[in-house]
Amino acid sequence: MKAIRFFRLHLNVWSIMSIIFTLLIISPTLSIFIQIFEKPNENWYHIQEFLLKNYIQNTLVIVFFTGFFSVMIGVSLAWLVTAYRFPLRNFFKWGLILPLAIPPYIGAYTYHGILNYTGVVQATLRNQFDIKANHAYFDIMNIPGAIFIFTIFLYPYVYIITRAYLEQQSASLVENARLLGSGPVQLFFRVIMPISRTAIVGGVSLVVLEVLNDYGVVSYFGIQVFTTAIFQAWFGMSDVASAIKLAGILMAIVFAILFLEKVLRGRKKYSYSNAKVRPLEPISLSREKTAVLFVYTALIFTIGFVIPFVQLFQWMLLTFEKVASEEFLTLIFNSVYVSLIAASLIMVIALVIGNFTRLSDGAWAKAVSRITVLGYSIPGAVIAIGVLTFFLWIDRQLKGVYHAMGIEAPIILSLSIIMLLFAYVSRFLAIGFNPIDSGFDKIGRSFTEASRLLGIPLTRTFFKVDLPMIRGAVFGGFTLAFIEVMKELPLTLLLQPFNFYTLATKAFQYANDERIYEAALASMLIILISGVSIFIFHKVLEKENR
Amino acid sequence: MNNRKFKFLSILFTLAVMLLAACSGNNNSAEPETGTKADEETKDAGVVNLYTSRHYETDDALFEQFTEETGIKVNVVKGEEDELMERLTREGEATEADVFYTADAGRLHWAKEKGLLQSIESETLEANVPENYRDIDNEWFGLTKRARVIVYAKDRVTPEDLSTYEALTEEQWKGKVLIRSSENIYNQSLVASFISLNGADAAKEWAQGIVNNMARDPEGGDRDQAKAIAAGEGDVAVMNTYYFGQMLNSEDAEEVKVAEQLGVFFPNQETNGTHVNVSGAGVTKHAKNKENAIKFLEFLSSEEAQGQFSEANYEYPVNPNVEPSELLASWGDFKAQDLNMSELGKYNADALKLMNEVEWK
Repeated sequence: MKAIRFFRLHLNVWSIMSIIFTLLIISPTLSIFIQIFEKPNENWYHIQEFLLKNYIQNTLVIVFFTGFFSVMIGVSLAWLVTAYRFPLRNFFKWGLILPLAIPPYIGAYTYHGILNYTGVVQATLRNQFDIKANHAYFDIMNIPGAIFIFTIFLYPYVYIITRAYLEQQSASLVENARLLGSGPVQLFFRVIMPISRTAIVGGVSLVVLEVLNDYGVVSYFGIQVFTTAIFQAWFGMSDVASAIKLAGILMAIVFAILFLEKVLRGRKKYSYSNAKVRPLEPISLSREKTAVLFVYTALIFTIGFVIPFVQLFQWMLLTFEKVASEEFLTLIFNSVYVSLIAASLIMVIALVIGNFTRLSDGAWAKAVSRITVLGYSIPGAVIAIGVLTFFLWIDRQLKGVYHAMGIEAPIILSLSIIMLLFAYVSRFLAIGFNPIDSGFDKIGRSFTEASRLLGIPLTRTFFKVDLPMIRGAVFGGFTLAFIEVMKELPLTLLLQPFNFYTLATKAFQYANDERIYEAALASMLIILISGVSIFIFHKVLEKENR
Repeated sequence: MNNRKFKFLSILFTLAVMLLAACSGNNNSAEPETGTKADEETKDAGVVNLYTSRHYETDDALFEQFTEETGIKVNVVKGEEDELMERLTREGEATEADVFYTADAGRLHWAKEKGLLQSIESETLEANVPENYRDIDNEWFGLTKRARVIVYAKDRVTPEDLSTYEALTEEQWKGKVLIRSSENIYNQSLVASFISLNGADAAKEWAQGIVNNMARDPEGGDRDQAKAIAAGEGDVAVMNTYYFGQMLNSEDAEEVKVAEQLGVFFPNQETNGTHVNVSGAGVTKHAKNKENAIKFLEFLSSEEAQGQFSEANYEYPVNPNVEPSELLASWGDFKAQDLNMSELGKYNADALKLMNEVEWK
């Protein structure tokens, strides 16, 4: 009896779809997870003895400082842009997201290109001023350098989510605090930081995951982190089993932390139950303070976007005639096409799972939502193996069907773009899901419950009440997912069908061969297209808010 | 509200259509690979499907030329060597790949060990590729060579100061040697060659000696080592001839300036020879277009193709009938390690381990 009631209460189109999507998405990850329990081989002991200790230490240092600085920069910018008036404020609102358009490894190549011996800085000093400065001063290929690169190109995750939150959420709290005599510093640390906690955690967890799964920046800089151990086992010792085992462990740790965070946050809710959300009105400051504010904002924007952009532009001009061809039209088309499809799929799935988790009280629903980000914690190449294995398995199961259709080839799906799209979705679901999650967190359940009480079915309520309220979050998630797929490299490299190239793989083909100048054109196109999508997102959002 | 629902559904619908288009589009392109179309068009000489980890325009141009000459279409997946090997392994019998092509002899050996390649018979290949640059069982064939040489600052070092790789571990080079990280595959194969020639103990001693003499912790790529010499961080660097050629012909005048300050030295000429590694290719075990695959390899080993590797990509030809390009020739002739390339793969993991043990970062 109880069981029947349980099912009647919980079994609906949302829960069923959530379960199906989640199962699909974790199936490749699961095959990696299982490897943790594989028996260790002799390489394993070597890895443990000589690699892991230092590597884990380096990883923790980079993760901690990148996380810390991203929060500081991201939240402070979000707050300043929301609360104060200063020149170009409207531009910076979206301009500050632009560094996200630059893949961190391209950023790393670019900054090293600027600062190294033949780069523009040292060359100018040497040739124009005859100063031979110590080469080591300009060296960014070390741990602080990696922290710099990650922070400056990833902080927008924190910025974008926190800003969306502050804009709509903080008006009454901020005004009360001001009335009670809080100074700006006190206001920031005692009101803004605590109330934005959900948003900050959402943003910074994306930053941390991205740092953990990175291999491009660290291997170029020669820094040894956890992913290095994974790839040393795989590439250096040809020991895929140990590599996957390491990745499995990494994933388990990340999962534990994320789960813990969700549990610790527990039932604290920061949602408003007021139908009228009043956006915060920015105030004007004294001239000096405005100038400081402007300089700070402009500085971050310059370092995160203008400098690398200008450098890449110059390199692009240098190699344009050599590199440019009609092929780039195809590359642009491929990149945009897969990014659009993947981002749309991600948003649909994120909405289904997000809505389901929000409406269920059970702990397992929370677990479901955490599982979605699992794929993001480990290097793409490892996930790709999981996806490949999964699709080859499906192909084997469908052998009879293929035969009946008169197709002789044994593998169809795993040579198709569908496998790649699936991989994108399972990897970047977290990117689309986090904004949705915090969007739902913000509106809470009261409106939905009211609608249900008025006798409107769940699905209709979703379209009528919930979806319109989180439209901003949906656009935000879509844009982020679009940019991520646009920049994506490791999955595409391993799972590409024959003759299928994207802008990212084209850039890699040159950069991998230390030909960063030739890589500039493809990189520029990635940045431009992502930049345009950020701009469109901003325009849509502005229209929404009006 | 219905309007909204309609919008949502129509977006879903469009997505579904795009997805379908994506798969049907792909099926079309997959068809010739399976050979079903070959019957309809008698002129179609079929395809050869390639997994490659080399990303050079020279290669693309050669593939096009091959298609022009033979009518065989070349379908390409460009990835990273170990990942492509894993893909081949997992695809097993079902794979559509006919040729595996990569820039390291060690990887070719591993591919053989994993049972991914097959032995082929071709008089042309046997004539074009010398014995020590191909597999004993003809499962893979080397196509181009790269030498890992010592590059030195012309103003501080004379060639007379240099002799062997081993000599770099001596006291006089303390704090002056530049070399990249142990993660790098070319360093792994260099150490693997020492294990094969001199034994594991001597190789470990050498690695320890290099670590002791390093000018700085390893960072960056091969080009960065050359730049660090110019910047005065060290006096000698171990790097590939290929990258040095790239720098001399760079679009960036500053890079050219750096390269012009440096000299190339082929070490171990009096002893066991300079370390070389090859790019090479093999026919996959489950190749569906074996004949075409062999034709493809024969083409790449031909004098015509070999000349282009040397001219446009600064690689040494393996074909003894082909002279290296002018630039390569200007660095002089050299004696290479007398080593079957398979040895590099055999000792790769050991090499990496001993580098880890001496804390070569």
